[in-house]
Amino acid sequence: MIREKRVIVLLVLILVLIVLLVYSLKPEHQVDFASDVKPILNKHCISCHGGVKKNAGFSVLFESEAMAVTNSGKPAIIRGSARKSELIQRLHHTDPELRMPYQKTPLSEDEIKILTDWINQGAKWGTHWAYQSVDKTEIPKATSIFDKKNFLANPIDHFIAARMEEKNLLPNSPAQENIIARRLAFDITGLPPEPNLFKSFVNGKITYENYLDSLFSDRGYGEKWASWWLDLARYADSKGFETDRGRSIWKYRDWVIKSFNENIPYDQFTIEQLAGDLLPQPTVDQLIATAFHRNTMNNDEGGTDDEEFRVAAVIDRVNTSFDVWQSTTIGCVQCHSHPYDPIKHDEYYKVMAFFNNTMDEDLFDESPNLKDFSLDNQREIDNILNWIKSNGNDELFKIFKNFIQFQEPKYPAHDFSIVDIEKDLGTINALDISLRNGGEAVLRSFDTQGYENLYLMNDSKLGTKLYFRINNRKGDLLAKIYFQTDLKNESDDQIGDGFNYFDPRTKIIKVKIPKIHEPFDLFIKSINSNLVDAKKNINHYEKAARLNISNISWITTLPELPEKGTKKNKILSKKLFNLITKKAKNKTPIMVENPQHMKRKTYVFDRGNWLKKKEEVETGVPQILNPWEKDLKKNRLGFAKWLVNKKNPLTARTLVNRVWHQIFGKGLVSTIEDMGTMADTPSHPALLDWLSYEFMHSMNWSVKKLIKTLLMSATYRQSSIVSEGKLAVDANNLFYARGPRLRLTAEEIRDQALSISGLLSDKMFGPPVMPPQPEGIWEHAYLGNLWKTSEGEDRYRRGIYTYLKRTSPYPSMITFDAGSREVCLVGRSPTNTPLQALVTMNDPVYLEAAINFAKSYSNKEAKAAILEMYQKATLRKVDEEKLNNLMLLYQEAKLNFENDPEQLVDFFGMDQSTDVKTASLAIIANAIMNLDEFLTHG
Amino acid sequence: MDKIKKLLAEQRVVEAQFNSRRHFIKDCTLGLGGLALGSFLNSCSSGSPTTPAYISDRSLNPMASLSAPFLPKVKSVIYLHMVGAPSQLELFDYKPELAKLHNKPCPPSLLDSKKFAFIQGVPNMLGPQANFKREGETGNWVSNHLPHFKKVIDEVAFLKAVHTDQFNHGPAQMLMQTGSPRNGRPSMGSWVTYGLGSENNNLPGFVVLTSGGTPDAGKSIWGSGFLPSVYQGVHCRSKGDPVLYLKDPKGVSRNLKKKVLESINDINLKEYKKFGDPEVLTRINQYEMAYRMQVSVPKVMDIDKEPDTIKDMYGVKPGKEAFANNCLLARKMVEQGVRFVQLYDWGWDSHGASPGEALDSGFLKKCKETDRPIAALILDLKQRGLLDETLIVWGGEFGRTPMWENRLGIQNSPGRDHQGDAFTMWMAGGGIKKGVVHGKTDEIGYSGIEGRVSVYDIQATILHLLGFNHEQFTYQFQGRPFRLTDVEGHVINEILA
Repeated sequence: MIREKRVIVLLVLILVLIVLLVYSLKPEHQVDFASDVKPILNKHCISCHGGVKKNAGFSVLFESEAMAVTNSGKPAIIRGSARKSELIQRLHHTDPELRMPYQKTPLSEDEIKILTDWINQGAKWGTHWAYQSVDKTEIPKATSIFDKKNFLANPIDHFIAARMEEKNLLPNSPAQENIIARRLAFDITGLPPEPNLFKSFVNGKITYENYLDSLFSDRGYGEKWASWWLDLARYADSKGFETDRGRSIWKYRDWVIKSFNENIPYDQFTIEQLAGDLLPQPTVDQLIATAFHRNTMNNDEGGTDDEEFRVAAVIDRVNTSFDVWQSTTIGCVQCHSHPYDPIKHDEYYKVMAFFNNTMDEDLFDESPNLKDFSLDNQREIDNILNWIKSNGNDELFKIFKNFIQFQEPKYPAHDFSIVDIEKDLGTINALDISLRNGGEAVLRSFDTQGYENLYLMNDSKLGTKLYFRINNRKGDLLAKIYFQTDLKNESDDQIGDGFNYFDPRTKIIKVKIPKIHEPFDLFIKSINSNLVDAKKNINHYEKAARLNISNISWITTLPELPEKGTKKNKILSKKLFNLITKKAKNKTPIMVENPQHMKRKTYVFDRGNWLKKKEEVETGVPQILNPWEKDLKKNRLGFAKWLVNKKNPLTARTLVNRVWHQIFGKGLVSTIEDMGTMADTPSHPALLDWLSYEFMHSMNWSVKKLIKTLLMSATYRQSSIVSEGKLAVDANNLFYARGPRLRLTAEEIRDQALSISGLLSDKMFGPPVMPPQPEGIWEHAYLGNLWKTSEGEDRYRRGIYTYLKRTSPYPSMITFDAGSREVCLVGRSPTNTPLQALVTMNDPVYLEAAINFAKSYSNKEAKAAILEMYQKATLRKVDEEKLNNLMLLYQEAKLNFENDPEQLVDFFGMDQSTDVKTASLAIIANAIMNLDEFLTHG
Repeated sequence: MDKIKKLLAEQRVVEAQFNSRRHFIKDCTLGLGGLALGSFLNSCSSGSPTTPAYISDRSLNPMASLSAPFLPKVKSVIYLHMVGAPSQLELFDYKPELAKLHNKPCPPSLLDSKKFAFIQGVPNMLGPQANFKREGETGNWVSNHLPHFKKVIDEVAFLKAVHTDQFNHGPAQMLMQTGSPRNGRPSMGSWVTYGLGSENNNLPGFVVLTSGGTPDAGKSIWGSGFLPSVYQGVHCRSKGDPVLYLKDPKGVSRNLKKKVLESINDINLKEYKKFGDPEVLTRINQYEMAYRMQVSVPKVMDIDKEPDTIKDMYGVKPGKEAFANNCLLARKMVEQGVRFVQLYDWGWDSHGASPGEALDSGFLKKCKETDRPIAALILDLKQRGLLDETLIVWGGEFGRTPMWENRLGIQNSPGRDHQGDAFTMWMAGGGIKKGVVHGKTDEIGYSGIEGRVSVYDIQATILHLLGFNHEQFTYQFQGRPFRLTDVEGHVINEILA
């Protein structure tokens, strides 16, 4: 026995020796930094030696840091000599105080070997794949077996086949016509296909491609894909913080729908949203597009610092821009260099400098707002503008056009401060400066631009005098206004009726001032000793309202209109400001850049704290990405163009990956929000690059073409049936040996129910609608805004038009994983919960749909009705078993309603029908609308 | 891959169980008539000693109960958030020195470089608007506005120097509940149910109960952030359906509903057999749970059936939206294994600008509404032996100034402005050192001078008691691990037993 054991031990030893010998003779494998080394550093080292902590003065985040001298006085990595490198020594150390990773499990032998080899081979640093530019990629040759299976419909399939082959997988056969027809319809339009179109395709009258093209030309395409983009854009119909008041920004939603339908190239789509206002002579649509970044949240809460929330919005814009276009979570860099990716702390603020110069400042009225005038008013405005253009110059025209469109530039109330605040003679709130008798406010560094017309939006009590002084409280008088007459009677000094949230009497006042070219401090003092005494037993606000004699919401200066001194000048000037103060039909918050004299400086914030400013920075982009081309303007427009430069490594890859995710339910890089070094490795890197390259170069950024390419592939057309074998080998369908089978989105589930039951309205665009929702959802402790259920067809509009209040989104949509749109949502994660079952079983919206659905079949014999309903809803033929099952349920329902006529009346509620058959069929409809095959796209 | 193999094996079991259970239900139904499916499922499954896979497996049931990584001290949390921020100076933080300064101008040194929500210029100081007494064996201070609280004062551990860097309601509430003043992070209850699941398969794991209105920060305060939405808080309402769409449609009897459900699940099972997608099995499971919830949620929400002594103890107001009702509901829920019960009581923003928010009026009403139910909750949990496995947390989102608010330059009814530098919170229940006072403020209760703890420390401590190390409890998102306490937080060992 013992001898045998010894022999075995000896044999094993010999074997080990041979293996070791062979191994050592084998030429050393060339280690790749990006795929071999970086993951180890990220996993074991970087949390203590990276962007956040640099223990012992050592960091492995940037090459320069990794090779630099550490606290020990020498570098931790000596290129070419692992033996001399402390990095390697420490991995082997026996002293637990010195062995790395500190107090954690040691690295495996394999990992140590990789690092050792890497250093011995010269410790060559590399670039993470996603930061390398997108190059033309060869299409792999798939073997004939895939060809024989008719799997090679387009290049995508070659890439997919190549990977399948490695795993010994074979594709599924194509899905049945009816199934693929439904899948396509939902993926393109978010709705079931139009019956005739469906029939033509299933009967072979039109080709797959024709069917698909018809769907693409359906305007439903824009509505479906806009939902996806609006998640990224964090579009909502409310401001977000605290009381979460409404916001009218739906024109942006409509712009997105139109842009998809018109298939605006993605580069243009990008530029218009980020910098439409900076394009030469922007159209109204291009201005609306900039509302993309006005979807940030506003805070109206009393006592909040507008600057804090302006900065918060700017930070959100930086983060969102990188989330949306670069799959990069730059948010971490706000406080310190990126923990894992080579982006430096100050680079965050260089990007922020692009976004830090817009005029929006968390104001209550959300200005700047693009105003919609009535057609009549617009016509008059255009006439005056044309007169300005032909009698003045382009510059003058531009100034007035902008001022009419969005009333900028101006100095809002919060730019002022109260002089001698402790005297309680003035306050500044969200809307205006309120001055009491003797109250004084100052605006620092007021720049008149040398214009001689001072305008102020104000509401002052009769008998009030306003004094404007230069540089100090006793300084030279700039202007004086005496409110002698009732403001309702027009005088020469005041122009037009204003509108203000609290007081519609507010006016725009014009005062002549001398020409001054240098900025100065403007002091405004108000005097009126004719005061009504504040009564007792009234609250703060009433008391204050009685004491305040002058409320000023903004001031600005403007140049003179052409033909100064003429009667025409006087009339048109008055008319123009009259028109400006007309109440807008609708206002949309947009981005407007500060003029030169109002430009803000941008600083690095110490550890991300906006109150602790460090060094000033200029605009710039992260070095790891494509270089900044010199001819680009250093503003948002330049930034947008930099993003869509074909050398940008992330823009196309990001878009391709996310469109793929929409179609297949997961990304080629499964971490769709991140492509940085901590991201998952792409399942099909070559395919990702091929599609990205083609998207930019041959498809010319056409999103429709990109989607179509995906849908034309045999990969997409496969049946989604999964065998046990495939489930075992590839549970997550990483290799695409079967077609996608996704649950419909929140909007699609609702739209589908309304569509098959004939209720869905095809009305497009316009203000958001309020379909029925349970009572008490929109409760807020001290805000009277109520959900006013829409009437007529607005009850049945597509889900994308439903009012989205951030703090209280439409409940059934939230249950099906729609977001609340407070921040950018890169992808919805589909869940499967009991609350969803409650929605589709019990929500009155679904009941109404079921009843309506049943009504159109109630004159048919029950079995035939069920058969047709099933087919209408699922686009499949019902099999015998399922039909029997539903027939049984029908009998049960019928019995139920026959035995209890009261229940029948209850069931129909307001609806006057009291037909047992319709009710029973509605129960069937309700069941069908809860079937998995109804809720997924097969 | 192991998970998949396991799933495949489980799936056969589930299928078998499903079939047999269905038959059993049918049999039961034939024998017993119109009893609820929910009770059948409970009684039917009680025969099997092990939890079936469709309940215990996270891939089939995202609420499957998991054990905590470390030994937990408590199973459940009841968090009593007084929305609007109650004044510590009228409840627990006794400051006789402040009384001497009453109605005198605030020394400028206290105003230097300070930011306030509403105070402007130089306000006056406001002395305590309450009388204080030492109560209980520990002799801890409590004001006369909380006469019932003194009965349980020895059960609680006080934190007298909590601080926050947010002084507006919305952001401060977000910070307290999600670890970030901005939206987008998961709430504490979501983290906890994500980490531990639920012990009751017929009720939501994270329940939110509100009185007086929705918190300023809105519903995202119980949102799941980047965690799957299944972990968001379920707002159980006192008016209408307690959970949205819980009630069957009018005219649909329970019996008919059961038939509908059977029909749906039968056809779905066929679909599963054809397509083999495990998601279908999950859906079948969720439909059953929905059906059970329709019975179990109204049952747990029904306080009428409680004995009168209990109703009196809490001072409930049946049929109304009331904090007292919510306290009783919280007890019922933790009793049934709900993991996290979050109460929000709105109306504590005592600025003094109107009677409703004045310390001599609205504030007193709030004290009265909450004092008795809170004491009852602690005593009731104790008498049921549940206090040891439940953590109760009480607090607002920040504290209030020792100055008299002078909004718009006018001093009105007694009221205090927001302030984050020092406020009082307390905890009671499992793992908590009873009667301890941790932290101390200066003579006027303006700043903490000893034992200062941050919002993150509170969160770290709550997670600790549930068996988590807050630094290790992370979720990978956007390429980095996120945690409730961000990069901060220390467990407050001084209040741990």
